[in-house]
Amino acid sequence: MSSSRRSRQASTSSRISDDQITDLISKLRQSIPEIRQNRRSNTVSASKVLQETCNYIRNLNKEADDLSDRLTQLLESIDPNSPQAAVIRSLING
Amino acid sequence: MHHFVPDFDTDDDYVNNNHNSSSSSLNLPRKSIMGEDDDLMELLWQNGQVVVQNQRLHNNNNTKKPSSSSSPTKLLQAPIPPSMDNHHQQQQPSTDQNLFIQEDEMTSWLHYPLRDDDFCSDLLFSAATSTPPCATSQVVTAVRPPVPPSNESRPPVRNFMNFSRLRGDFNNGRGESGPKTIVRESTQVSPSATPSSAAASESGLTRGTDGTESSTGLNRKGKAVAMTMAPAIEITGTSSSVVSKSEIEPEKTNVDDKKRKEREATTEEAECRSEETKQARGSTTSTKRSRAAEVHNLSERKRRDRINERMKALQELIPRCNKSDKASMLDEAIEYMKSLQLQIQVMSMGCGMMPMMYPGMQQYMPHMAMGMGMNQPLPPPSFMPFPNMLAAQRPLPTQTQMGGSTPQYPVHASDPSRVFVPNQQYDPTSGQPPQYPGYMDPYQQFRGLHLTQPPQFQNQATSYPSSSRVSSSKESEDQGNQTTG
Repeated sequence: MSSSRRSRQASTSSRISDDQITDLISKLRQSIPEIRQNRRSNTVSASKVLQETCNYIRNLNKEADDLSDRLTQLLESIDPNSPQAAVIRSLING
Repeated sequence: MHHFVPDFDTDDDYVNNNHNSSSSSLNLPRKSIMGEDDDLMELLWQNGQVVVQNQRLHNNNNTKKPSSSSSPTKLLQAPIPPSMDNHHQQQQPSTDQNLFIQEDEMTSWLHYPLRDDDFCSDLLFSAATSTPPCATSQVVTAVRPPVPPSNESRPPVRNFMNFSRLRGDFNNGRGESGPKTIVRESTQVSPSATPSSAAASESGLTRGTDGTESSTGLNRKGKAVAMTMAPAIEITGTSSSVVSKSEIEPEKTNVDDKKRKEREATTEEAECRSEETKQARGSTTSTKRSRAAEVHNLSERKRRDRINERMKALQELIPRCNKSDKASMLDEAIEYMKSLQLQIQVMSMGCGMMPMMYPGMQQYMPHMAMGMGMNQPLPPPSFMPFPNMLAAQRPLPTQTQMGGSTPQYPVHASDPSRVFVPNQQYDPTSGQPPQYPGYMDPYQQFRGLHLTQPPQFQNQATSYPSSSRVSSSKESEDQGNQTTG
């Protein structure tokens, strides 16, 4: 894919940028409510989008960690051999 | 405000309303207004939000003023029909948002070029425009370099290139007919500021036009104006700047070069802006153009640097991102984010369910989990890169070893595979016979090698050790667990 992009780049730099921008925009639309609400697609700035994405991913990671901690605690409170425990473990691990 | 209406002693509110709503019959001394304009303009300048209201006020007030070149706040003079005002108001909120957002990006640029407010205020005065409505026009004028005061005509002009550009966006954020106004104003400024100022304003305008596509109608107008300098000039029509018109036309050709550069930079905004800037320049075309180009390049470089920096940060966040290509990296980032979201969703659901769990409950868990995000019967092509995972459902994927070098995240996102894998395949929760080991997890490589817990994911069948990616040995463990579990 990179090679194809490179060749494309040689021919039309705008195409690669467009693809990347499209990626960014689709990402925005799907995932980041903040940007979706505030920005119109045309006015989206790449740096802003990237920044929001990084922040969002960090937040997601943190949230996932918190949830796993909670699940771990729950796991301790119940019978380890119960199916529930297995469920919880699965959630934590995956 | 009060000084505006010496006659309206009784009702202040009425007076104020009068000022704001009607451009009309104010017998107020112009000078006082002008003085106030200075203050107001500066205030406006500093605080974009405020601009609108004051602008309207000024515009209304200024309409009365004679459109001599020397008279300050020409820009404001354009008679603002009440409809325009309303329009301004309507667009305010949306533009404000854009304004805020744009400000972030432009802060570096903003601080960079322009430090002196006086400079801006001078611009306002120097602007000889009668232009049309546009609350933003005031700001635009502020943006324009005060060529007349112009002892530093050169440096200010240069700064203005960026500045005006930025301001253009800024203005457009507010922006209704901002761009249009700017262009007109620039053209009209001629006598005093003429080329530089006009250029700056135009550039700002063009930027504005591009920037605020959200403010549809006005933007279109603005763009139209920007594109066609001559007609725009005629349209704006009002004041004195015939001279500016003549100057602008010859400069069009100069603009083209700049336009090309900007396009390459993939800044939509830049195109029109650069054109206008060049056109407005007039006299020292070559030097100013080169300077403008320099400035533009610098700003572009800065922008790109920011973007690259953010891309690197994002790449670091994404586990197992070995892609040097931006687009593919972005794709991975998107997938990763989705998987994270899904995983969090599942886990939060699990947390909520846990306290209420009872033996019979487990049957519901997988169903719920399965139903959550995984309605896609077929794995999407995007998962091609992870063919192993799909194929290796039963036998644990050997690819788990891939994750050796990845950073360890205690809980890694729900697999993207979860999303794409058919429901039947998904079975993170134990207790269901048809559990597929393949809790397919394109991102399993991201997860954990660390395995906070042994992958006893399920008591049944082929427990897919989500964490077991780490090594094939896990398989045996899982199997062992399964049997024992």
